[in-house]
Amino acid sequence: MYVVVLVVALVVIIATYLTWLGMRIDRLGARVRDARASLDVQLERRADGAREAAERAGPQAAPVREAALSALAACSDECEVAESGLTRALRATPLGPDDELSTEVARVSLARQFHNDAVRDLRTLRGRWLVRSLRLGGRSPLPAYFEIDDDATLPTAPYSGPGPGAGPGPGPGTAEARPGQPTHT
Amino acid sequence: MARRMKIGITCPYTWDVPGGVQSHVRDLAETYIDLGYDVSVITPVDDEANLPPYAVSAGKAVALPYNGSVSRVLLGVKSGARVRRWLRESDLDVLHVHEPTAPSVSLLACLNADGPIVATFHTMNPRSRFLSAARGVLQPSFEKIRARIAVSEAARRTVVEHLGVDAILIPNGVLVRTFANAGPLPGYGPDGRTIAFLGRIDEPRKGLAVLLAALPELIERVPDARLVVAGPGDVEHVRDGLDPALLDRVDLLGLVSAEDKPRVYCSGDIYCAPNTGQESFGIVLLEAMAAGTPVVSSDIAAFRRVLDGGRAGKLFRNGDASSLATVLADLLADSGERQRLVEAGREVVAPYDWPVLAGQILQVYEMVTEEGTARRRVGVDDSAGSRVAAEAV
Repeated sequence: MYVVVLVVALVVIIATYLTWLGMRIDRLGARVRDARASLDVQLERRADGAREAAERAGPQAAPVREAALSALAACSDECEVAESGLTRALRATPLGPDDELSTEVARVSLARQFHNDAVRDLRTLRGRWLVRSLRLGGRSPLPAYFEIDDDATLPTAPYSGPGPGAGPGPGPGTAEARPGQPTHT
Repeated sequence: MARRMKIGITCPYTWDVPGGVQSHVRDLAETYIDLGYDVSVITPVDDEANLPPYAVSAGKAVALPYNGSVSRVLLGVKSGARVRRWLRESDLDVLHVHEPTAPSVSLLACLNADGPIVATFHTMNPRSRFLSAARGVLQPSFEKIRARIAVSEAARRTVVEHLGVDAILIPNGVLVRTFANAGPLPGYGPDGRTIAFLGRIDEPRKGLAVLLAALPELIERVPDARLVVAGPGDVEHVRDGLDPALLDRVDLLGLVSAEDKPRVYCSGDIYCAPNTGQESFGIVLLEAMAAGTPVVSSDIAAFRRVLDGGRAGKLFRNGDASSLATVLADLLADSGERQRLVEAGREVVAPYDWPVLAGQILQVYEMVTEEGTARRRVGVDDSAGSRVAAEAV
């Protein structure tokens, strides 16, 4: 009798744990999909903004316009190459001060960070032995990191002082340029 | 947007005990309310009468000796239930948890919520025993966090080391308006001879001793100079150590209330920060600048950076009383230069004004709530594991 109760209890505990593990994986999967959708939206906004800015700026901004058009047209395979190309074109070509475009550019690196963090969490969980051997992650391929050159500084971005400047918070790359850190007094 | 964004904020530490995280949450919440957002804060509190209308209580925190000091923690079935009810009733668009690594409300909220969660990390705690021990148990809660903010480079490093993911740097702010609108304390004010000091008076690193040592030389050049000193510490002990001739030149106010703190900055012609080291930032300098008071500080690295190498405030050689006396006397004699420093200070502090920083944090909210095509909201996590875990703690 004891043995039966023990076995049943054990089965219930194991089943609950595995169900919960499965839910974690599903939830992380949803987080990755959301982050990817957000990243795609930000990339498109940046490319649109760059194209418009390049058209306003005239013929000397042709490289930006071309890079923006190919970024907008790129399918998922060449997307990273095309987006990096757009970043480089933006960095090399002064377009005149454009706060909106600077914001879009900064938001791309934020969206990319959120996406890659989500991917890292999911890959860590799906890489666990138990998850792999029981195929709790299903058969879908592991999501890939999105790696592009997204250095957020535009040559024409207005100087915003030594503090936290315009845009959605400093990206990690620019952190060193800022004054240290406040402490609690 | 048809509906105003509803923001839920969790504060892990007791609301009516003064502290950096508590003021951060308060300033942020009040800034959002001024900007027209709907805000609800949940926090442990000792006396519910001290809560502002936008905050609800998560219960009383229990003091536990931990890591050599006393921490107030709040974890329990009752608090968990309160947090769940708050999540269910508030119908939040975004949940912003502060310091989710502390065993308190923020952690409970992470455990019980699902949806767009943003977390702010405050402390630099390179070897948190709680974190190292509980990492495996906490990971399921932490992996719900969609965006991480660190208030300092050191806090960001802690996040990277402990959680293996990056964080965005958005520093602590200053509510410039509060300081700019504060008047001097009664009986004080800019009169061409008053120096203000704010900080622990018996903490050598805050440098009061250097300022007191500079006083005789300052009086030689400015005969009616006086000092107004505010901050916690043993007032009698400092008074006993003073040269009797200087007694009537030094006003020791002791600990001042939170409302009077901005007024201390306005009570002098100059705000002096003689700190001798280990300051990682210098929020006090920003507060003085926000109050419109010229700053004289020691030339330690953190202060030199805030004062832009001396452009936005005068620097003296760290620990050198004679150098300090000279800088103070020169500046007291030059009202034009003081005016210039006030203007420069306003520029330096502007990017740290809460409305500016709140704008940056709101952009982060926008990005985590806009994700995908469907707008996401914060819900209650009803998975079996979360309930089991919530009841276990």
